Amino acid sequence: MKILVADDEALSRRMLERALERAGYEVTCVENGKQALEHLCKPDGPRLALLDWVMPELDGPGVCRAVRTRSEHTYVYIVLLTSKGSKEEIVLGLESGADDYLTKPFNAEELRARLRVGERILLLEDRLVEARENMRFRATHDPLTSLLNRGAVMDLLARELHRSYREQKSTAILLGDVDHFKRVNDTLGHVVGDEVLVEIASRLLASVRSYDFVGRYGGEEFLVVLNSCDPAFAPARAEAIRKSVANRPIQTAKGPVSLTMSFGVLLSADWGPRPVEEFLHDVDTALYRAKDAGRDCLRIAKPDAKAEASHVSLPQPARRAH
Amino acid sequence: MKKSEPDLQEPAWNQAELLERVDNDRELLRELLTIFKEDFPRTICSLEAAVSSGDLKRSGLLSHTLKGMLLNLGGARAAAAAARLEELATAGEIAALKGALDALECEAGKLLPELDAYMTEVRH
Repeated sequence: MKILVADDEALSRRMLERALERAGYEVTCVENGKQALEHLCKPDGPRLALLDWVMPELDGPGVCRAVRTRSEHTYVYIVLLTSKGSKEEIVLGLESGADDYLTKPFNAEELRARLRVGERILLLEDRLVEARENMRFRATHDPLTSLLNRGAVMDLLARELHRSYREQKSTAILLGDVDHFKRVNDTLGHVVGDEVLVEIASRLLASVRSYDFVGRYGGEEFLVVLNSCDPAFAPARAEAIRKSVANRPIQTAKGPVSLTMSFGVLLSADWGPRPVEEFLHDVDTALYRAKDAGRDCLRIAKPDAKAEASHVSLPQPARRAH
Repeated sequence: MKKSEPDLQEPAWNQAELLERVDNDRELLRELLTIFKEDFPRTICSLEAAVSSGDLKRSGLLSHTLKGMLLNLGGARAAAAAARLEELATAGEIAALKGALDALECEAGKLLPELDAYMTEVRH
């Protein structure tokens, strides 16, 4: 484990370095508080620190205060080293954000024991962060495909639409549905159906850029959001995404399965600012048109096509023939 | 007895206590003594200059540094003399600084020969 030692006195630094190396730590030594803060602010910086109280540039309590203001970073367990002995001074050190203190001259065994306490606290923090991240992931992702779930992808879409309108860019919304998916479940079983969905999710993700979004919108429906997508290239990109599924069969436990997808596509630049639900309604209508046109294709939603589409008695998404 | 007064029962250099603190690592001990032999004269020289110019802040900081250095090295008596000097500087007792510095140098005068003797002994 990495540990930072900050002490302006060479003798003390060397003693600490040796005692810590002997205990298996990866030690970095610095001579003043400013250097200590720089190291502790690095993204992969040490999470254990031994800081001398009196140092040039910035003293130990000053480093503690600065470190504690960075609440978004991982916790750093700080032990202040001091030859100050009064209760008032110790209270001052702990109030500045130090977790513990050690009085000079330190005993190597006591030093290591106190650092083991720090390691236990950091381990506890890691476990809490991991549990929180797991909960956050479960709340925003689909358990089968690990894609964003409907709520999360819609939130991101709403945010992206605001941003693209503000920056006068275009967002491409693709709503895709696996053609005849019910047949897979009915003939090969739900386990294979799940395998298919996982593979499709993987192909959709692989066919977009790292800053685009892919979410599972419903059973076999997927929502793809292409951020800052030039309207001139959007149809070709949507076509490439569609083909990523249709181009080659999906390998399953019961053999290869050839599937296609139909897509409705909408380019936000074609429309003015409006609620995300209205965009989704129109892209869903375009998807219906793709299904109606024989599937395995895409249809682009256009504002002028809206009036025409609205005259047709459209089945709602839940009633769409897959 | 006040905390910062030298304990006359203490040896000038408590080698056994220091060795215990460094896990009986004699090689490290020799290295520490070398660092001390380089840093101590330089720091005491700066302290003399600070005391003679009446610079209380610097006198306090340097005596604090010396105190830590001496404590780490097992020189408790000299460390106590440095602590006394630090207290006086912090309290603004400018007139008493010179006397406290003399006391520190006197204690250091007892410590340094012991360190030199050890270095000579381990060299042979």
